[in-house]
Amino acid sequence: MSAYIDQFPAEAKVIRSAFYTSFIALALGAAFGLIQTLHRTDIVRVIPSEMYYTVLTAHGVLLVVTFTIFFLVAIFTWAVTTSLDRGVEDIRFTWSWYVLMSLGTLFAAVAILAGFTDRTEMSADVLFTFYAPLQAHPIFYIGLVLFVIGTWLAGADWFRSWWAWKQENPDERIPLPTFMVLTTMIMWYLATLGVATSIIVFLIPWSLGLIDTVNPTLTRTLFWFWGHPVVYFWLMPAYMMWYVMLPKFSGGRLFSDPLARVVFVLFLLLSTPVGIHHQYLDPGIAEGFKFIAMTNTMFLLLPSLLTAFTVVASMEHGARQRGGEGYFGWLGALPWRDPVFAGMALAGLMFAAGGFSGMINAGMNINYLVHNSLWVPGHFHLTVGTAVALTFMAVSYHFIPQVTGRRLASKQIALFQVVLWFIGMTFMSNAMHRGGLLGMPRRTAEPEYDFPFETAIGTVGELNAQIALGGVLLTLSTVLFVANMLITALNDPADDLPSNTIPEPLSGSEDAPLVLDNLKLWTAIAVVLVIFAYSLPLGSIVERGGLFGPGGDAFPMFIEFVEGTVFGLTGDSVSSLVNSPLEWLRAMR
Amino acid sequence: MNIHSYEKVWLIAAMLLIVGFIATITYGSVALGITMVDDSEETIDPNALEEHERFGDLGVHQTDSDEYDVHVRAYQFNFEPGSSALGTHDPIVIPQGSEVTFYVTSPDVIHSFSLVGTNVNTMVVPGEISTMTAEFDEAREYGVVCNEYCGSGHHGMEGLVKVVPEDEFHLFSVADVDAPESIEAGEETELTATIDNDALQTEAATVTLEIGDEQFDTDVEVDAEASAEATFTVDTSDLDLEDADDLDWTVTVEADSPATLEDGSTSGTIDLETDEDDEEADDEDDEADDEDDDPNDDDESTGDDE
Ligand code: HEM
Ligand SMILES: [Cu+2]
Ligand SMILES: [Cu+2]
Repeated sequence: MSAYIDQFPAEAKVIRSAFYTSFIALALGAAFGLIQTLHRTDIVRVIPSEMYYTVLTAHGVLLVVTFTIFFLVAIFTWAVTTSLDRGVEDIRFTWSWYVLMSLGTLFAAVAILAGFTDRTEMSADVLFTFYAPLQAHPIFYIGLVLFVIGTWLAGADWFRSWWAWKQENPDERIPLPTFMVLTTMIMWYLATLGVATSIIVFLIPWSLGLIDTVNPTLTRTLFWFWGHPVVYFWLMPAYMMWYVMLPKFSGGRLFSDPLARVVFVLFLLLSTPVGIHHQYLDPGIAEGFKFIAMTNTMFLLLPSLLTAFTVVASMEHGARQRGGEGYFGWLGALPWRDPVFAGMALAGLMFAAGGFSGMINAGMNINYLVHNSLWVPGHFHLTVGTAVALTFMAVSYHFIPQVTGRRLASKQIALFQVVLWFIGMTFMSNAMHRGGLLGMPRRTAEPEYDFPFETAIGTVGELNAQIALGGVLLTLSTVLFVANMLITALNDPADDLPSNTIPEPLSGSEDAPLVLDNLKLWTAIAVVLVIFAYSLPLGSIVERGGLFGPGGDAFPMFIEFVEGTVFGLTGDSVSSLVNSPLEWLRAMR
Repeated sequence: MNIHSYEKVWLIAAMLLIVGFIATITYGSVALGITMVDDSEETIDPNALEEHERFGDLGVHQTDSDEYDVHVRAYQFNFEPGSSALGTHDPIVIPQGSEVTFYVTSPDVIHSFSLVGTNVNTMVVPGEISTMTAEFDEAREYGVVCNEYCGSGHHGMEGLVKVVPEDEFHLFSVADVDAPESIEAGEETELTATIDNDALQTEAATVTLEIGDEQFDTDVEVDAEASAEATFTVDTSDLDLEDADDLDWTVTVEADSPATLEDGSTSGTIDLETDEDDEEADDEDDEADDEDDDPNDDDESTGDDE
């Protein structure tokens, strides 16, 4: 048996490039994270507070768009090629989406980082949510679109592999890792329709000055149409790792293939029709729509709860294979000294904590208390910032040797690194949650105000100290990770790499009902659910505010560079074009 | 498909948990009446807030005996009223034991209006009006923050809500003060203040005139949503004028109340004529001192002293 690079040398090169891109984003993102933690806790302020938002935009975009998604495409390419046991159909096509994604990132990054200098009027201090009427430079939006198109092509690449494989293996079940990739990508195609519409139809023309106004509620709703499912887009590669790799690293096998498929189907169906739960406190959206989103959200807990079961059961199986005994005694038999296993297990543990705060967030009326408070970053640094990020870092210790053929520089440092992340995040996230309950807002350079935040236990100073300490430990951990990866990439070739295999589940695909593999059916149901959840809210938003909003101005975070209407395409005419069928439909009722 | 029996138990427990959550929230909405900010208000043109019945008239308004509406404009980077730290606007002052509905909108970008540590927390979206109702049973202050990023000055966007004891609360304002523009030193003169009462009940107002270094108080009853006049007769020969050639005055309604804000007082200046002064100045002295915000720019024009 052989390592991945021996099996698929050409693909290994693309995967490597995607990993490296994601690590660069992680390193930059962590540097910005450090600046933020020290700035908002008023410990060290190296930038003027106005610049905080440039930093925060870069932190958000680099980490939750670049780092996570480049890592995802690397892992998914690995998963498809490995589980189908065939290379990509056309490596040039594979490179093309990689290049497109990189180009998109570059565009967006240039727009954001230009905010640091006065030399250019360009900037994009709009945070990763880019809510209109705050306006970024057009190349920020164009960059995002190129990036998304790149991911669409990547998905097409994987589908293409699967179709080609199916021609040759007409009677076989879709291998589980490929199944996970395909369902995740269907969800992604559906979800990105929202953000792509928002950017292409509204924000780009608006930032170019072709249309004067947009409807802030509409673009915001389209953002969250994508903004919740993207959470699962980050999470699915981590889940895939927990399902297919964690059992391997704990010395056992996945508990159940059919349940893994059920979980991914549930994610496909339920991830998208929930985005309005980010808008519980928005005016202009009826309470009923919020309630529907909440109900769907609650059911979305189900696949995660099932995952918790399967992951723990698979680990227990592995531990018992290794000789573990007793009710809890088996925990000791797990390979805790292996950074890959330890990192993933710690990530899973934090995800459980993140799940609890997530359940609070999901509660519609409880949201009044926590919405936009520091509680929220506290929550998602546990989920995307640890469950996902730490899993990614941990599996990198396995994958980078696999795709480079080189020896991991240091296993000890790797182990120390994942534990350090866990400790750092415990401090930072716990204090953020508590601060949020006191009403400390998120996304602010200077949370201190004229009035004191009332603390039940501890002091604001103590909370800030914990946030800053956690942030420093996390940054240190990131430095160790990136250094370890860099040295590994330059290290001597290894000749004793573990072979690139995925162990068969205990209960295999032969136990899974055939209908689970019917992707067309699941796609159709997912579309119908989205139509149910969104057509009325979107219709009502357009009806209330018009397609292009009830007026108002743009608030460019840069100085306008194109003036006036170029194509004579004005908001009004397009709006009436869309409004008349709406009127007609209403008249029909 | 075979499902392990433990897994079945787990599945059922998970479903029960989910249904339990939904039931809890539904209970909160239906039985406890925790409603969500929603689409019950009409949209508004962000560029024409002044023309709107509510946002053309910002501030606190009484709607029933213990009920008040507060109209707030959240803009880059202040709340009007609310942002009082730098004296930009008045704080929001409401009486203890009242039920208050906040109406908030934005003329520019998305903000939030959030009373720290309470359930009053809403997004403020241009074109939409956010409404929130809350009861305030405790006399205390609440900080207001904008917790939605709204631009480079976002971190400075904060305000204050003061809940004051009912007997310190009022909705009086000084609508107008009729004061002479100039008088002869030593003469007797009259100042008449028009006091508006925006409350829905008749209330007694203590009106204070500070003039020179003296202070005079008088009480007037003002009917609900009506005005009344308070007249002060001042014998300037009682004042310690020294050689001053003008006399500053300030009229304040309920001077000791935390609810007395910017519109609760008006100031002006009366020119003092010495004997040689021209008589003609007297004819113009009826010119009322308008409720202009800046107390200084009224009387500068009378440059006829020599
Ligand atoms: C070195 C490690 C990190 C540190 C010190 C750090 C620190 C912070 C801090 C203090 C904030 C809050 C800023 C504010 O709201 O004012 C923040 C926001 C955020 N962080 Fe991190 N973080 C780290 C890693 C990560 C990772 C790994 C991810 C995701 C993969 C992540 C994603 C985010 C996102 C999405 C935001 C919100 C941005 C926004 O509100 O627009 N962070 N981070
Ligand atoms: Cu969400
Ligand atoms: Cu703000």
